[in-house]
Amino acid sequence: MKIVVCVKQVPGTSDAKIDPDTKRIIREGIKSIMNPFDLYAVEEAVLLRERFGGEVIAVSMGPERASAVIREALSIGADRGALLSDRAFGGSDTWATSYALARAVDTIGGVDLVICGKQAVDGDTAQVGPGIAAHLGFSQAAYAARVVDVSKNSITVQRMNEDGYDVCELSLPAVVTVVKGINQPRVPSLRGVIAARAADVPVWKPADINADVSRIGLDASPTRVVRTAPPEPRAGRTERVEGSPGECAARLIELLNARELIQGVHSSCG
Amino acid sequence: MREHIQNRRYHVEIIPPKQDSEKLDADLAQFADRYRRVMGSGYCACITDNAMGLLAFQGLETIEYLGLPLPADQVMIHLNTFHTKPGLDEILGCGLRMGLKYLLVVSGDGSDRLPRLQPSDVGARGVSSVTSVELIAYIRARYPSYALGAAFNPYEPPDHEFDKMERKLAAGASFIVTQPIIERHPVVDELLRRYPRVPTVVEAWMTKKLYLLSDVVGYKIPEDAAYSPIDTLRKLHAWYPLCGVYLSLLGFKVQYPIVEKLWKNMPEASA
Repeated sequence: MKIVVCVKQVPGTSDAKIDPDTKRIIREGIKSIMNPFDLYAVEEAVLLRERFGGEVIAVSMGPERASAVIREALSIGADRGALLSDRAFGGSDTWATSYALARAVDTIGGVDLVICGKQAVDGDTAQVGPGIAAHLGFSQAAYAARVVDVSKNSITVQRMNEDGYDVCELSLPAVVTVVKGINQPRVPSLRGVIAARAADVPVWKPADINADVSRIGLDASPTRVVRTAPPEPRAGRTERVEGSPGECAARLIELLNARELIQGVHSSCG
Repeated sequence: MREHIQNRRYHVEIIPPKQDSEKLDADLAQFADRYRRVMGSGYCACITDNAMGLLAFQGLETIEYLGLPLPADQVMIHLNTFHTKPGLDEILGCGLRMGLKYLLVVSGDGSDRLPRLQPSDVGARGVSSVTSVELIAYIRARYPSYALGAAFNPYEPPDHEFDKMERKLAAGASFIVTQPIIERHPVVDELLRRYPRVPTVVEAWMTKKLYLLSDVVGYKIPEDAAYSPIDTLRKLHAWYPLCGVYLSLLGFKVQYPIVEKLWKNMPEASA
């Protein structure tokens, strides 16, 4: 099974600042990490390779420093990787990014499965995985919480939806985006990290993946960020309950009763 | 472990390089230097296991990768409950192959990136989660050649902590290591009264940043609180002359040469 796993380098903070002019995240001075959801994607790819054999190829798009996330994927068990990095890719939105990644998948050739994290924690769009499927004409399932079965020509996944789960059988090749909890990502070994550090990570330019330059970069991106703003603070408030365990329990019951969150419960202690 | 105390062998904590280190080569070199120094002093190197939930490389693989010696009496590996079952067995099997003898078994601090052992992994029944008690029992049953240490926290409610200690000893722990002791502690005195035959090692907090212990002791220690680690270490020897001493966050440049002479030069009556 030939699996491509898409990974993204994101700011390792929940307190990222936005450049008011470009409306983009200011990445300078912020430690970068692999998008947390992509760790689950890499782990799932490696688990599938361990069960069914084949190869896992990690692909990312970004500046040259983004090769760090490829190396992290290698340290966890990916066999090889490639980084799409060129000024021409700069400013790509999810549509242009998914086109470029689709071109990379096509260039690799013979890919059975593409796995992505459900979304990146910086953009939070969840569009790139489905976009890759659209560009390649692959079947797709987003928010997979479990791989149920894999056969020569299909993969069956349990997919999260707003009401719970459904089970989808996809013909291969396919794109699957995965949620946290589909697995427990392994922690890299020291030898894995050392080997990944020494690995060759090729940098692919648009010509290397036969990408049409009119379909990548800022000019090819239909998305326009008109305004950014921090989310409204949550309206909830915290009340600290203090005292003996009995007093705390009694107060807690009183508070929950007052909000009609529980009914008919009375404290007999305190 | 009793020989460690009789031979005045300090337990020196060494933290392996962090997973996200941006200077891994330098960190590995520092680990190797410190480890060799501890070996050279005849002390016991104690290698932490993702201390405070911060991802670090595993102790045994770091020792093996660096080609460091592992004298059975001079290395203790911490092992907590945040592992996969295969990962746990790999560590324990690797330890046996390398000649490791001592394990300090703790519940540990987790993080989102760390898996947690499940009761079924260690054959535990009637519990909803794996604590050091279940892990000790598993290792005792499956890897009986290890000498297992258990942690003791005198800052927890004593009845609860002594109950846990009973269960840890019943599960197979054969020595005890306390949380950092910064003043003579009645609960530690009680521990020594209850278990006079169990070798006990008290932890000495070797950084001046006493406030870092606020969460451990359960009250706020001001950042400017005056604290002399070396003076406290001397007092620990006086308060607990029959105990070993575990040196956490020891400074290797300035403190180590002082510490090397300290216990060794104490008169017999003090030790």
